[in-house]
Amino acid sequence: MTLTLGREINALFAIASREIMRLIKSPGAMITNMIFPMFFLGIMGGSLSQNLGGNIGYNFLQFVMVGMIVFNMFMGATSGMTSLIAERDLNLTQELFVSPISRYTIILGKMIGTSFASLTSLIGVLLIALLMQIPLGGMQIVRLLLVIPVFCLVGASLGILFIGLVQDSKVAQMGALLICMPQMFLAGTIIPISNSTGIIAFLAKIMPLTYLTDLARGFFYWGKPEYHSVVIYNPAINIIASIAFFAFFTVMGTILFTRNERNK
Amino acid sequence: MNNVIQVDHLIKQYKKSQKAAVDDISFNVREGEFFAFLGPNGAGKTTTISILTTLLSKTNGTVSIAGYDLDKEAKKIRYNTGIIFQNPSLDLELTAEENIRLHVSIYGTYRFRPFYGMMPKAYKQRIEELAEIVGLQESLFKNLKTFSGGMKRKLEIIRSLMHNPKILFLDEPTQGLDAASRHSLWEYLNRVRTEENITIFLTTHYLEEAEGADRICIINNGKIAMSGTPGQLKERLIQKYMYVDATDQNTLKTELCRLGAAFMETGQGLKVAYKDKTPQKLLSGLDIPLTKLEIHQPSIEEAYLDLIKEGSVLS
Repeated sequence: MTLTLGREINALFAIASREIMRLIKSPGAMITNMIFPMFFLGIMGGSLSQNLGGNIGYNFLQFVMVGMIVFNMFMGATSGMTSLIAERDLNLTQELFVSPISRYTIILGKMIGTSFASLTSLIGVLLIALLMQIPLGGMQIVRLLLVIPVFCLVGASLGILFIGLVQDSKVAQMGALLICMPQMFLAGTIIPISNSTGIIAFLAKIMPLTYLTDLARGFFYWGKPEYHSVVIYNPAINIIASIAFFAFFTVMGTILFTRNERNK
Repeated sequence: MNNVIQVDHLIKQYKKSQKAAVDDISFNVREGEFFAFLGPNGAGKTTTISILTTLLSKTNGTVSIAGYDLDKEAKKIRYNTGIIFQNPSLDLELTAEENIRLHVSIYGTYRFRPFYGMMPKAYKQRIEELAEIVGLQESLFKNLKTFSGGMKRKLEIIRSLMHNPKILFLDEPTQGLDAASRHSLWEYLNRVRTEENITIFLTTHYLEEAEGADRICIINNGKIAMSGTPGQLKERLIQKYMYVDATDQNTLKTELCRLGAAFMETGQGLKVAYKDKTPQKLLSGLDIPLTKLEIHQPSIEEAYLDLIKEGSVLS
């Protein structure tokens, strides 16, 4: 039992490390990961702040910065997982699927690896935040960094569920954008959603990014006067929702993906 | 000798297909044997090897690999097998050694370490030993983007043997390689086979590759067309015959009947099969002067192509 568990952990570590090794060897991908959030936070966030964020009672750019950190981790991990389809087309996954380890270990290893890879976009957000003189808040940002793995893992789990349903690599790549971008607008990443009603409010409630963004803001604004203006749910609700989404997406996604690979 | 692979009534029908890709096949492979699964493209070779290596589910039948049941003990089968896929499954972003290191870590042969220098001595010795056999010791730390097709295949051989498998599956391993690379790859595989004492299961559509095997199984249209040693197959496949004719064909037929020779009337004369090395004995028994004599001794390749063609027509 211990030997088996040790083997699985060793394999998990190796699969995750492979993603990191690949990232280190691809400076182009690292630079792209860093540039992407600069556009959103710098251009979109800056424009919204100047035109709409004047009298809301808190620093709007800081609000957007927290949302962008969550979104970039989430989307980076989702996109990273969809690369499994492209890797299958390149015959890279065969080697993994004939190995004597659990399919969950393969998927979890890939999730952890892509999560680390998406961390590079965090550097982009922090750089642009410094350039735009957005206050990082000292311990506030440290608290936020502590929960970053949660955003990555939930994003990665959504990615595996998606590729469990989609077989084509082009659809998978496009689909990652399609399932993430609407969440950016509806889940409160850059636009406050406390006044959302009807279908918009309903959609926000079923999106994992809503709970992740709110969890991030709960940690970031903890003990601050603007806490009640920016945080919607109790952090416990956000944590439970995040764990539930992660567990459901991972189990369903792994079952569907491995079943599709074997049952042709 | 024990059977390390036992396949009984294996059937595979793909979801969107009306016809079975593998249609009720049975065969066995003995321990230490070099077994060739020969057939044309689309015959069902890759489907079979994918099922045996646990990559693909089967529709029906039973399979046992290294003493383990495919349905119940797939993980144990994976521990005991090594695979070289039809298309290289290497990570081109990494070096040759990094590809191997990830493989052994996933198989649990050695603990994963982020740097080669941190890997155990046994790992380093094993990798050097195998790299020397296939002549890749100079390129172990080079990026795979600089590797030729032959070098990638050699690397896959090293990788597939690192966890000491009992059975090595090779799915058309020489596909895309030039004649020189094919030749050297077989030299290395034979050397590895002798030194590592493993069973080799090869799928190929090259008859000359299969001829080196201990036993050959010919698959066509998802069914086993013939199996046996290369010598047995040659004997069964090659039918030697000649065309003979005479002004008085009836007398010729009577003489052939007297000599016990089987013949068939064709537009080219009488087609007479013979079993001896040459038809000299048969010809010397004929008294009637011949107006036609054409001797045919097809090569094994021609005979194999005839069998495949015949199979496709029959199906």
